[in-house]
Amino acid sequence: MSGAVLTTRDSSGPPIDMTGVLPERLAEGGREALAGLMLLRGRERHRLDTLFTLEDGGPTGALVLRPGGAVLDGVGTGMTAGDIRVEGDCGACAGSGMRGGALTVEGNCGAFAAAEMAGGSLRVAGDAGNFLGAPLAGGTRGMSGGSVVVAGDAGDRVGERMRRGLIAVHGRVGSLCGARMIAGTIVVGAGCGPDAGQAMRRGSILLSRAPEAIPSGFSDGGMNDWLFLELMRKELIDGGAWPSGFPTAGTRARRLIGDRSAGGIGEMLILSEA
Amino acid sequence: MRLNGVHIEDTFAEAFPMLGTRLVVTADTPAWVQAAVVSMTGFATSVIACGCEAAMERALPPGETPDARPGAAVLLFAMSKAELAKQVARRVGQCVMTCPGTACYAGLRDGPSIPLGNALRYFGDGWQIAKRIGGRRYWRIPVMDGEFLCEAATAAVEGVGGGNFIILAADRRAGLAAAQAAVLAIRAVPGAILPFPGGVVRSGSKIGGKYKGMIASTNTAFCPTLRTAVPASLVPEGVESILELVIDGVSEAAVAAAMRAGIAAVADLGAAGGVVSVTAGNYGGKLGRHQFRLHEVMA
Repeated sequence: MSGAVLTTRDSSGPPIDMTGVLPERLAEGGREALAGLMLLRGRERHRLDTLFTLEDGGPTGALVLRPGGAVLDGVGTGMTAGDIRVEGDCGACAGSGMRGGALTVEGNCGAFAAAEMAGGSLRVAGDAGNFLGAPLAGGTRGMSGGSVVVAGDAGDRVGERMRRGLIAVHGRVGSLCGARMIAGTIVVGAGCGPDAGQAMRRGSILLSRAPEAIPSGFSDGGMNDWLFLELMRKELIDGGAWPSGFPTAGTRARRLIGDRSAGGIGEMLILSEA
Repeated sequence: MRLNGVHIEDTFAEAFPMLGTRLVVTADTPAWVQAAVVSMTGFATSVIACGCEAAMERALPPGETPDARPGAAVLLFAMSKAELAKQVARRVGQCVMTCPGTACYAGLRDGPSIPLGNALRYFGDGWQIAKRIGGRRYWRIPVMDGEFLCEAATAAVEGVGGGNFIILAADRRAGLAAAQAAVLAIRAVPGAILPFPGGVVRSGSKIGGKYKGMIASTNTAFCPTLRTAVPASLVPEGVESILELVIDGVSEAAVAAAMRAGIAAVADLGAAGGVVSVTAGNYGGKLGRHQFRLHEVMA
């Protein structure tokens, strides 16, 4: 069975909530099942085929979304398997609650991408908004599995309350990166804004350069060899998640331990100081 | 059967199932790998009294290890999962974690899980850090030279213990030369180890003994000095020295391949090298379910 290509009919108007538009549904019920889905656009509900043209195409069982100028929110929400490729930008909550499969965004994505993600992979060719891998509004746990790679920059509160998994941002991130992080790994290629790691309990934030000021709850653990970096580098290079500014050999890095003000033993590793 | 003048007895080696695992130990230099491995596999010759049987399977070049450093693959075998887990934790904790610069990884993926770093993490006293990389979990335990990196768990495989063959030689020098040739050949076989010192056993045993409580006692049938005193002696005239090679493997096939390689190396020395015959230890089917018939192994 071929995949399906969904092209937005009308790019003006309020955002379209793409919740439920998943490869699983295509696999189970074919294009008919997709066409009959009711989607929210603003306050109104519409059949999917009144908002999109549906064509065969793309890899088998995969969805290709062509948003044009329309804002698509919740792309890949709760996805468990298969592939979605977005040929353009995404709105908010791309890949939120994702449990499996692969979501590729060829443009930018909005806030709450990969929020509460539990598995699978999200690749963003452009930038990501605030709350990448964080909890959804009212939630208490951020990302708990899977991997996110952002080729551009990301906003504030990347990986907030993150518990497991990997977030790699090749560019720069905003303030409060890894705030209240419980575990997991955040990789930042081009520096981060203020208050990184605030109240983090465990987990690792790999940085290309030291924060402008060492957060008050962190102590400087000095330079050492961190063998796990060798394993991580191999893994991330294979997945395109090792930022180009990071060293490609050696395991030395400077380690900041914290946030001790929250009883945390997380770490910020400064790789460029090796 | 005769190979190069060496008589290969029509008998079988009797072996038994064991649970085994493979660990990969790495360090900064081959010398430190060796230090860790020698220590970890020390006093691991026989489950009769050591708890496990272990030895280095082969050295690993940096290109074959997870952290691109020199390393070694080690196989450990025990009689139960619980005993294997205990021995792994003790030996890695006391002999690998203590050795400067080392790291320890699982060498098997499929099978029942045996705690590795999971059993050692508490040594970190709360400062240990778990890290999942590539779908596998590791523990980073702070130690005085930095950090001990240890995979969380390894896997167990049902292997074979007690594969063996016995070299009957004209004298001790000839017997030792033949045994050493066999050891070299067997160490090139993947999935098999020789747990005894230098790979060779000179005190082969029989089940039970004259004294109450003895699990095993000297194999009187193969003691040349008792040839005329023991009615059931299996020592032919002209044999002064007998050595046994005991092989544990991750599979029947690995043990058979190791036996084949070892016996072939012995036969290469031939009768001219002082080797009279090759036989194997069997216990009338009382010891275990695996039987390796020498003629089939060498066919």
